[in-house]
Amino acid sequence: MAQVKAAPKTYDVVIVGSGAGGGVAAHVLSLAGAKICMLEAGEWFDCTKDAKMFEWPYQVPHRGAGTKYKPWGAFDATTFGGWQVPGEPYTTAPGSDFMWWRARMLGGRTNHYGRISLRMGPYDFKPYSRDGKGFDWPITYDDLAPYYDKAEQLIGVFGSQEGLENTPDGKFQPAPAPRGYERLIKSACDRLRIPCIPSRLAILTRPLNGRPACHYCAQCGRSCSANANFNSPGVHIKPALTTGNLEVRTGAMAREVLVGPDGSATGVSYVDKKTRTEVEVRAKIVVLAASCCETARLMLNSKSSLFPNGIANSTGLVGKYVMDTVGSAVSGFVPILQDLPPQNEDGVGGMHLYMPWWLYKEQAANKMPFARGYHIELGGGRAMPGEGALGGYPTQFLGGGYGVDLKQKLRKLYGCEVHFSGRGEMIPNEDSYCEIDPHVVDQWGIPVLRFHFKWSQDEILQARHMQETFQQIIEAMGGVVTHKSGAETNWGIAKGGEIIHEVGATKLGADPKTSVLNQYCQAWDVKNLFITDAAPFVSNADKNPTLSITALGWRTSDYIADQVKKLNVKV
Amino acid sequence: MADKNESETSGVSRRDIFQILGAVPAVAAVGAHSHMHMAQEEPAAPKGPYKRQTFDDHQWETVKVLCDLIIPADERSVSASQAGVPEFIDDWIAFRMEQDANQDPPAPKADATEADILRPYLRAEIFGGLMWLDHESNRLFEKTFVGASVDQQKQLLDRVAYPGKAAKDDSPWVAFFTQFRSLTVGGFFSSKQGVADLPYLGNRAVAEWKGCDPKVWAIIEERMKTGYKGVLEAKPWGA
Repeated sequence: MAQVKAAPKTYDVVIVGSGAGGGVAAHVLSLAGAKICMLEAGEWFDCTKDAKMFEWPYQVPHRGAGTKYKPWGAFDATTFGGWQVPGEPYTTAPGSDFMWWRARMLGGRTNHYGRISLRMGPYDFKPYSRDGKGFDWPITYDDLAPYYDKAEQLIGVFGSQEGLENTPDGKFQPAPAPRGYERLIKSACDRLRIPCIPSRLAILTRPLNGRPACHYCAQCGRSCSANANFNSPGVHIKPALTTGNLEVRTGAMAREVLVGPDGSATGVSYVDKKTRTEVEVRAKIVVLAASCCETARLMLNSKSSLFPNGIANSTGLVGKYVMDTVGSAVSGFVPILQDLPPQNEDGVGGMHLYMPWWLYKEQAANKMPFARGYHIELGGGRAMPGEGALGGYPTQFLGGGYGVDLKQKLRKLYGCEVHFSGRGEMIPNEDSYCEIDPHVVDQWGIPVLRFHFKWSQDEILQARHMQETFQQIIEAMGGVVTHKSGAETNWGIAKGGEIIHEVGATKLGADPKTSVLNQYCQAWDVKNLFITDAAPFVSNADKNPTLSITALGWRTSDYIADQVKKLNVKV
Repeated sequence: MADKNESETSGVSRRDIFQILGAVPAVAAVGAHSHMHMAQEEPAAPKGPYKRQTFDDHQWETVKVLCDLIIPADERSVSASQAGVPEFIDDWIAFRMEQDANQDPPAPKADATEADILRPYLRAEIFGGLMWLDHESNRLFEKTFVGASVDQQKQLLDRVAYPGKAAKDDSPWVAFFTQFRSLTVGGFFSSKQGVADLPYLGNRAVAEWKGCDPKVWAIIEERMKTGYKGVLEAKPWGA
């Protein structure tokens, strides 16, 4: 570092991170009148200018195939980031498999995520009380329900009113009608008594707050030039900027939360990536939303005489109980779908139907070999042909061949694929955590994370159940299973981190001795330090985390605004 | 749904569409939306002819012949070489070689096998297979593969194109042909001409999403009851 530059201004709030958690805090607090400085480690991103919508694979090099630093292909909205970020390593402990997806860009992972927006249900807040595993949240579903309402109405979520057990309905826009293969899957699920209902995605089917409705090109993962799906820059940050209360600094890699002599946070020190200089931002309140593990890293690296183990870590629990989602997938080929009259099956960028967890009664009656549940996500149909399109079909289905006969058969087989992915709950355990690697730093001089990760039998047996169920559905459709996993791979269970649903690491609780944060995501040890990403999560229900991050972050931000008004936080 | 209007294109450019979407109030934007048809952009014109990175001149001639034996022209679409598949394969092999060399080495394992240590060597497999076509063609017909008659070429392909029927001694060449056919088929159906052949009717703005066409669903429902004898047989449900 050449020098340390202290900025003269003191902001009301400094927010680290601009994704779902940082975005909602900036949105709520800027509208409440707070002067905010937001730090983002990546560069600016504007979906209305930077999205790759409507490009064809044949218009780009190698048909848009994935590369080491662009693993999901040329069109993925993640402009900079992935499983590896150049110059910013992480390590895994021996025996631990863990993958860490980081999106270094304004809006973080909200730019490319699946937009799946499922509320946690009443059971999901009290899992320990139900089965004696993991921990209870210090709040109930009813505490968060009003914030789910607000979040859905702001970001725009479609869905349907179903009244299913532990699957709360929300403030939904109308759901899009299902595609042909989805209706067929539903018919099979009806026979198997598996509920198959309209999915719940943060994609507009009606205009909302100046954003137009979806135009159904199925490319949400590229980010949307029309701003018709939820993304933090387009939905949270743009309106916040119009208040004049928000300043966003990009290329700002936070390295330490600064602490005053009284033990309160005084701001954040960051590395300005362009100049490789250190800059300090002073603020009355510090909000961390750098993503679950990045937030834990920042806290563990914020060591001082008052906090020798890292800020707000008197319990030693910062970094503990990292959870991901249980994932396992099966693919099939359904002959009933071959050679149908061609139709456009794009729709929204994701499934129009899904299957919520349905075996609560069996679980309560102790008839299931594992705790907790999963939902089923699906895909298939006449999707955009990429580089490998139909390439395996000759040997898979036709016994080989070549020539006009092959060509004519292949086009009849287009659109027959179906894919099923389970997304299930992981129970927090003592063997899954992150810590600072004592030997490795990144190119900004910041010590990096070392991951420890282990699935328990509950998760592995859940993956087995996924495999068996998905194969049953394919067989019920008269299909053949083309990709499955067995015992030798623990039923295809994804690696830790691979589903990109890391939560935990700074758990909420009712007791300062056994938790890092109180129910308002406020650090027990540092009253003006708050966290609005997924680090506060106590459990990781099968409900994808982004909607709950948004609702919980909104509740925390309301609390911050309220405390400032009541002067309970020193400002 | 692919009704007539949506499959038409207008003269409105993509940039214009987003200026429209961005510049007008939401309600008006929906109106504009419902009348809007996406102009299908032409692929960016290549700057000069394609520069080969992988194949030499003789290999290139062989690749073109082989691609067109696998995907010839028919009444619906052009052949693989007319859709740029040889260029795709040449580029793809170069790309994979670079990417595979660029990956982090796998973590060392105590029980590492040869397959863990050696990366799949796509270029060698393709080069070796092309050599075999000439070797075998020379031996049987005293001509290179390219110089042989179509019947002679097909006589060789018949030995390697059907894995279940192939002689055991031909298995390396079956693997080569399977790999090459996979590249040809994938390259063709992801090309502009292949997309139109299938056809894939998406990647455009749709004014109103209606779900599965009722006529298509009626066919599916009928097949659920009676089964369907297509390329692959679908049995009636519940049978």
